[in-house]
Amino acid sequence: MSDPARLPPAEITQLSLGYMRLTDAAPLILAKEEGLYARYGLDVTLRREVSWANLRDKLVIGDLDAAHLLAPLPMTTTFGAGGIRGNLLTGLSLGLNGNAITVSNSLWDSLGLHYPGRAPDALEVVKKLGEQIKERGPGSRLTFATVHAFSMHTFLLRLWFQAGQIDPDVDIRLLVLPPEQMCDSLARGIIDGFCVGEPWSTVAVEQGIGTVAASGYQIWNNAPEKVLGVTEHWHNLHPATHLRLRLAIMEACRLLTEPQQRVRIAEIMSQRQYLNLPEKMLLPSLTGDYRFSKNDAPVQVPEFHVFWKFQAGFPWRSHAEWIVQQSSALLGKEINADDTRALVQQSYRANLYREAARCLGELSPSQDYKEENRHGSPWEFEPGITLGADVMIGNPQYSGKTD
Amino acid sequence: MKSAPQNAPIRVMLVDDHPSRAQSVEEHLKAAGFEVLSVISSATGLLFQIEQHRPDVVLIDLQSPDRDVLESLAIVNRHSPTAMVMFAEEDDPDYIRQAVEAGISTYLMEGINPAKVKPVIEVAMAQFKSFQGLRQELDTARTQLQDRTLIEKAKGLLMLQKRISENEAHQLLTRLAMDNNQRLRDVAQTVIATLSALEIRK
Repeated sequence: MSDPARLPPAEITQLSLGYMRLTDAAPLILAKEEGLYARYGLDVTLRREVSWANLRDKLVIGDLDAAHLLAPLPMTTTFGAGGIRGNLLTGLSLGLNGNAITVSNSLWDSLGLHYPGRAPDALEVVKKLGEQIKERGPGSRLTFATVHAFSMHTFLLRLWFQAGQIDPDVDIRLLVLPPEQMCDSLARGIIDGFCVGEPWSTVAVEQGIGTVAASGYQIWNNAPEKVLGVTEHWHNLHPATHLRLRLAIMEACRLLTEPQQRVRIAEIMSQRQYLNLPEKMLLPSLTGDYRFSKNDAPVQVPEFHVFWKFQAGFPWRSHAEWIVQQSSALLGKEINADDTRALVQQSYRANLYREAARCLGELSPSQDYKEENRHGSPWEFEPGITLGADVMIGNPQYSGKTD
Repeated sequence: MKSAPQNAPIRVMLVDDHPSRAQSVEEHLKAAGFEVLSVISSATGLLFQIEQHRPDVVLIDLQSPDRDVLESLAIVNRHSPTAMVMFAEEDDPDYIRQAVEAGISTYLMEGINPAKVKPVIEVAMAQFKSFQGLRQELDTARTQLQDRTLIEKAKGLLMLQKRISENEAHQLLTRLAMDNNQRLRDVAQTVIATLSALEIRK
């Protein structure tokens, strides 16, 4: 624990912090409820927004000081891909994993796969789906949805399809819907499946309208997910406030390693002013006692949300680089190696994480890039620094290392 | 789309969950010579509506969750004939701020000349702002009403407790407010809290 009195004084103390109605907003909300912002001399107002576009725009114009952002947004907003342009950056990742792919019960039943007492084999499922799509032939495209084009949801969904020899640009109609409309659209047969953050897959399972076909973890072990985003301009004006904000949130992330805190935050977030959803919808992903389908028993998936261990807060540039490559593919626009590197260095500020980790007396990686898609189990990156598995489904060509 | 004739009116779609505001925007746009194709609320199948109507411009309430849906039309369905892009004039940073403050966001069909769309946005923004003004007035009126109710209640309690006239009770409240440098409603609130507590103890 660091001593706030020894930190440089905050340039401003009243902050507005935007977030979306998702389980992985947990660290931002816990920091408020635990009085961690106050301990660092900050008076933080949490503001729930209805769209990622709103979070981005309000951040860019300065109506919000900081926001819970999809990991790709700092790069895509800086690049100006869709929506308004503005230099955004992050010095803190808000966690790893947290997504799932849910399909309609009828699509699930048509695959004829059963996994009693265990999680579905995500690769087997998508291979079977790929075979089925080939048999059906063109003209009967399935429709899948995510909540934003530039999101890990979109990228993980595409990765999953590719692992099953399905071309996401040809074989699938991919569209964007607000998270609140996902379950209804699935129930009405408007979409065949979706990839979203929790609690929306759990809501579909609990309502008996969908089956979880793959967890995000199964698609890319310990993938990036959300970050704490600010504008470059705001960071330059308020470096000490930014540091205090990161420290408060990092302490909340560290608290979330305790199982009882996971239960507690589910209760807190269920409240009307936060997610306003029943606690039982939030508990499965937070406790890792996760139900893939309504009629099956819960399965232990302890890494569903990782907020602290495996250096979850570190903004890896190897993550960011992969994200830029995926964004470039989605845009159909070439972003060359030099531009990618410049964009990643501008948006993902690994040094800001190191600065905060030092204040907390915690170790942090000395390198900005790490190998990806290489390790099937936890591994030692540097003395005292253990990272999680990093395998991608279907073993695509990406190693994370740059020369 | 480029196929549209040069002088054809700009065709607008409005996504707004406030019926009265939507109506006034629609009326003003029509009066200014623009064609309003449809007015829809959130969660009514925006993608389908856009495919059906093929608008040149979509004006959308900032608080609509459908904004991410609209932005995806510029990216995910980049080969579709309904690609929409956000209206964000690079040379006018104030525009974004004004639009966000007014609570509106604008998207145009790719290929539409932004200059032709500007008057549409101006009309809509003016209506959004006046709607905000109305709402503020309404809030103020509501607060004033609540204040008056509080003051009346405090006076009533004082009259009962101290067996004084309404006029005397009013003077007492005013003096308390002046002495404590507080607003009349705050004093009334304190009086109500104190006297109600006394009532309970009795």
